Amino acid sequence: MHKIFAIAWKDALIRFSSKAELIFFIILPIVFIFIIAGGVPTGHEDNRIRIVVVDQAGTTLSAEILSALENSPSVRPDLLTLEAAQTEFDARSATALLIIPADLDVASIQNGTAELELRQPPNDVNASVASRAIDAAVRKVSAALSAANLAVNEAKARGAFKSAEEEQAYFNAALETAKRLQAEAPERLTVIEGNTPDDFDYDPHVNVSAGQLITWVFIPLFGISALFAYERTQGTLRRLLTTPTSKATFLLGTISGQVTVALIQMTLLVIFARLAFSLNWGNPLGLYIVLTCGCLAAAAIGTAMGTFIKSEGQANGLSILAGMLMGMLGGCWYPLELFPKFMQTVARLFPTTWAMQGLLDLSLRGANVTQILPEAGALLIFAVIFFGIGALRFRYE
Amino acid sequence: MLKTFIIGFKDLKLAFRDRAALILMLAAPFLVTVGMGLVTGRFSGTDQSGALNIPVVVVNLDNDAIGNALVEVFNSSELADLLEPTASSDAEAARRQVDEDQIVAAIIIPAGFTQSVIPTNGVASSPIQIEFYANPSRPTSAGIIKTILDGFLARIDEMQIGGLTSITQLIASGKISPQEANQAGAEMGKRFEAGGTTYAETAAIKINSSTTATETNDFDPLAFFAPSMALMFLMYTVSYGGRSILAEETQGTLPRLLATPTTSVQILGGKIFGIFLTGLAQMLILIGASSLFFQLKWGDALGVVLLVCAAVFGATGWGLLITALARTPAQVGSVGTAVMLIFAVLGGSFFQLSNMPPIMQAFSKITPNAWALDGFSTLALGGKLAAIAPPITALLTMGLILFLISAALFGKKNLAQK
Repeated sequence: MHKIFAIAWKDALIRFSSKAELIFFIILPIVFIFIIAGGVPTGHEDNRIRIVVVDQAGTTLSAEILSALENSPSVRPDLLTLEAAQTEFDARSATALLIIPADLDVASIQNGTAELELRQPPNDVNASVASRAIDAAVRKVSAALSAANLAVNEAKARGAFKSAEEEQAYFNAALETAKRLQAEAPERLTVIEGNTPDDFDYDPHVNVSAGQLITWVFIPLFGISALFAYERTQGTLRRLLTTPTSKATFLLGTISGQVTVALIQMTLLVIFARLAFSLNWGNPLGLYIVLTCGCLAAAAIGTAMGTFIKSEGQANGLSILAGMLMGMLGGCWYPLELFPKFMQTVARLFPTTWAMQGLLDLSLRGANVTQILPEAGALLIFAVIFFGIGALRFRYE
Repeated sequence: MLKTFIIGFKDLKLAFRDRAALILMLAAPFLVTVGMGLVTGRFSGTDQSGALNIPVVVVNLDNDAIGNALVEVFNSSELADLLEPTASSDAEAARRQVDEDQIVAAIIIPAGFTQSVIPTNGVASSPIQIEFYANPSRPTSAGIIKTILDGFLARIDEMQIGGLTSITQLIASGKISPQEANQAGAEMGKRFEAGGTTYAETAAIKINSSTTATETNDFDPLAFFAPSMALMFLMYTVSYGGRSILAEETQGTLPRLLATPTTSVQILGGKIFGIFLTGLAQMLILIGASSLFFQLKWGDALGVVLLVCAAVFGATGWGLLITALARTPAQVGSVGTAVMLIFAVLGGSFFQLSNMPPIMQAFSKITPNAWALDGFSTLALGGKLAAIAPPITALLTMGLILFLISAALFGKKNLAQK
């Protein structure tokens, strides 16, 4: 027991011999949680397509068009100056740029010169949707004016007006009638929300905190491989041969030390998320069962990796690469529910998936200890398999 | 100058012989890009945008003019990229498909809808409504379908109000008698049909659409992720190169070099040139590999080359600054990796910058990742050289400023002084 503790303590000292380790141990994980939690959509945002609108007319008519666009189910207009709107459009921050020109008024509609300018990128699906939404909004606003124009043309087809004043009076009367008819027009669409079950539990703070916690703890645990490579290249493993230390004692010491450090790191991140986002991690016993099993699985993979990798540099690179890939494919960066179906199945091959599911079950779905046992069991299976490989292949030289 | 080139090419060779470095320089960006392709469905053909091929079922129980016209609209070639419509006669089954999350919406056009809009013999039946049964778990796609429905119904209302207003005013002005109303309405309808007026021509306010005069590529998620990952690991490469400057000193090879007729400026210049060359080679290999293996279109070739050069120049500036501030090669490695990761997340390599709070978006401007990614996105969407002038200028300016600061710091440290 004393030897195991001594090896674990020695590894901790080596790891934290450089102050830079603190960057990866606590500073970067916190920075990542903080930045990403603030950057991912919460699901409560206005997801309508953003368009920028320049109102050069400033008339009641242009205000009505803007109001109709505000009520659109698929576009979200932002009123800007031409320069600002063009900058936003050029920077692709807006899907389309709509310019309501200064000469847009009732008279321009009467004489058929009313036009809006729409700038959009080519072959863009969102731009196509925006274009339809703008058309629908403009037609709604101009329906009465359009009807009045039609009425004037119909009257002209049955004989010319005696004067421009008479034509204008006819237009005004028709416009009044059209407005009344529009106000009386029945609603032609009824919208019913289906009973689709929404089984996609998502909370950006929970998902990001759990995902980053797993990623940032798994990478250094995979780095156990670098510890082995370091000891091997330094020749210290060979020296151990001269002492009465068994292979099991050495492995147990190294792994228990790193797992303990990982649990401390996880506890700090759990506390940070609790304080920063008031995050409820769920059942504490369940939480530490998942965290411990996750640590054991990652440490086992690191141990197995350490028996294949020759240099410390390679081990460091591969640990980062494996941690990033497993984190991403295990749903730590993006919700697993958004993956294609076959990738959701493939994801079960990674311990990160099970650790993430365990944490989400506890924090999002209020699972109790019994309910997270399948995830904990899966993580322990990873641990047994990879420890087995590591122990079988481990050599002092 | 020749010595500078020799030192630069020597460092390039050393970097590409270091297997450990190659893991993060080439394997990592390539494999993470593959991972991104897998999770976004790029390799399985699954569309994740939610805006393409939206599955919708149209149940036409009206089987009359307006119902049929609506079915035609949903099946039109104009909407082929947006919708995947299916016809059905079973309203209940269509609703069930929505409830089971198989489709985004069911549009049920009830029997008699046309009659409720167009009066027969001067009498319209009581109003009937089209049912839009929407999937609440897919609000964006459902919103798109509703927009199309709104547009169609706005046109129907426009026509109905136009016809009724015309007839009402003709009667009010005495141009026709009330008994002639039906006949006048029928004539109007015939004239409208015979006129062959297009949908756009009927609008009182015309919308003149213009698109940027460039050819464009379809959006490909990898066109975002491939440069994102390449840029992320470019930051590793420049710090790796910076590490070699300090390593030459600690390993004693720098004093040996200085013992030869080589000036310190030539040595430092060669080392910096080596960092630049390594970064350039890394980026070009990754671009070549993604083009070859994923058929990824990066856009205008000259624009891509110039942008890569500018991005590597900007990133090299950061690599030099980190080196100038660090004391040991290990410090450069640690800080370099940390900067690589922070710049990646801050520069929008993992999440769209537009989702970030404004202050984060402002901070992102200090990263070469954000500027270069902006340029690569522009090129991938069909932009030409002129369109990427701002990011190239920003990257070159960034590199120049960081180079000057680093030179001053190197001078203070007396590094590479005889």
